[in-house]
Amino acid sequence: MIFSSELIKGTLKTILLKLLADNQKMYGYEITQRVKELTAGRIQLTEGALYPTLHALEEEGLVTTEVEYMGKRVRKYYRLSDTGMTRKDEKVNEFADFVATMKILLDIEVKPA
Amino acid sequence: MYCITDEQIEYILNDIRRNGVEMEDLQLNLLDHICCIMEQELKETDDFEQFYQDTVRRFYKTELREIERETINLLTFKNYYAMKKVMLMSGASSVTAFIIGTVFKIMHWPGASILILLAIVTFSLVFLPIIYFLKSREATDNRQKAVVAMACLTGIVFSLGILFKIMHWPGTNVLGMSAILLAAFGLLPLYFFTGIRHPETKMNTIMVSILLTGAIGLMFAMVNLRQSNPLAQARMDNYLQAEALLNSLSYKTATSDSLSKDIIATCDAIKSMVLQNAIDAPALPAGKKPLIKEESPGGDFYGDGAGVKLVQQLRDAVSRYNAAQPNPAARIPTTYSVLECDPNHLGYDYSNLLLLSSVTQLQLAVVVKEQQLASKG
Repeated sequence: MIFSSELIKGTLKTILLKLLADNQKMYGYEITQRVKELTAGRIQLTEGALYPTLHALEEEGLVTTEVEYMGKRVRKYYRLSDTGMTRKDEKVNEFADFVATMKILLDIEVKPA
Repeated sequence: MYCITDEQIEYILNDIRRNGVEMEDLQLNLLDHICCIMEQELKETDDFEQFYQDTVRRFYKTELREIERETINLLTFKNYYAMKKVMLMSGASSVTAFIIGTVFKIMHWPGASILILLAIVTFSLVFLPIIYFLKSREATDNRQKAVVAMACLTGIVFSLGILFKIMHWPGTNVLGMSAILLAAFGLLPLYFFTGIRHPETKMNTIMVSILLTGAIGLMFAMVNLRQSNPLAQARMDNYLQAEALLNSLSYKTATSDSLSKDIIATCDAIKSMVLQNAIDAPALPAGKKPLIKEESPGGDFYGDGAGVKLVQQLRDAVSRYNAAQPNPAARIPTTYSVLECDPNHLGYDYSNLLLLSSVTQLQLAVVVKEQQLASKG
């Protein structure tokens, strides 16, 4: 089952920050592939959501960018900034709290590990 | 792995541009992304163009441009939805408060002024600036941005002018005239010449420009034209007639009694206060007929202003005078005069002309009573 884009939308920033924190620098396509891989294809980032969000993160100063010229192509790498690192922790913690709260709210049985 | 040629890269980039993606950054991001996908998934036997079209089709719902639109939204409208909400709320609440405040004001209920004050301040300093912010982001070029800025600025100055007028604060005319000048020489030409250049907005622009010109003309007339109301004209003549009679009785030297002098001096103080506000001079000009526009007597005659205090002083002076008269016939009649007016309603019930008339009548009464006493004595 692939998760709906509505579900992913609110967490996209958190996903990107976390990925960039774990991987020095990444480019757009790489990010989509890594997410697909890590989630066994259950989360597929759309280009239409990915790039606008990456630009917004750059604008907010949470990521820095560097470009690599490959003939006629230009590859833009994204890297987490110091503020981005702090924000990642906040976002991840916030989301963990959110999940815990949703479990209570939706009365979800936690499966024993 | 499929190897993409320079021509194919060129083809993809041109196609991205043709589909309305203008941000270079985004163009290159998409180009690299598409190339990556093709390198991974395209087989030598596949048709390049067909595969490209199928790939890029996955990127959007209706058109490729939406990626750019979404980017711009995220970049510039971080607080877009919050701002939109604040704009709607501030707009709706300020106009509601304004209408309620106006009704309160007409009924002389408490709280009217604060409601109107809050309403106009919210409208001009919250609602209009947010409109400017949101609309200027939507504007496609700097000229349109300038039109929006000018319209909002004119609106702010105009609504503050209304506030000052309602509150009887000084500076009303300056604000009113500034709004008219801004509208006539800033907003109107800017709007007209921006809209007229595009065939699709031409008709609308001409129509709105005519309406705007009419509105500016009406505003100009309201702020500047002297009264054409015959009743107001008559009230002015009425006051001037009484004033002339009073002067012919050499009222300033007609009495030596301190109680009556007190009344006459207080009346003169009130009149010069009203005249100062009406014709910018403390007394009527000598030798030529003045033009006094009928309007509010001025900010001093509201609340606990200096004018209201002077009228109270006059009331006391007249009471002292009447108390000192053993003969009731020698007392000054106060019926139908401004002295009977509720001090809280003074500025609302009396126009400048009515106030001048009433006070002058009281002075006449003093002079007449004094002359009667003198002739008897």
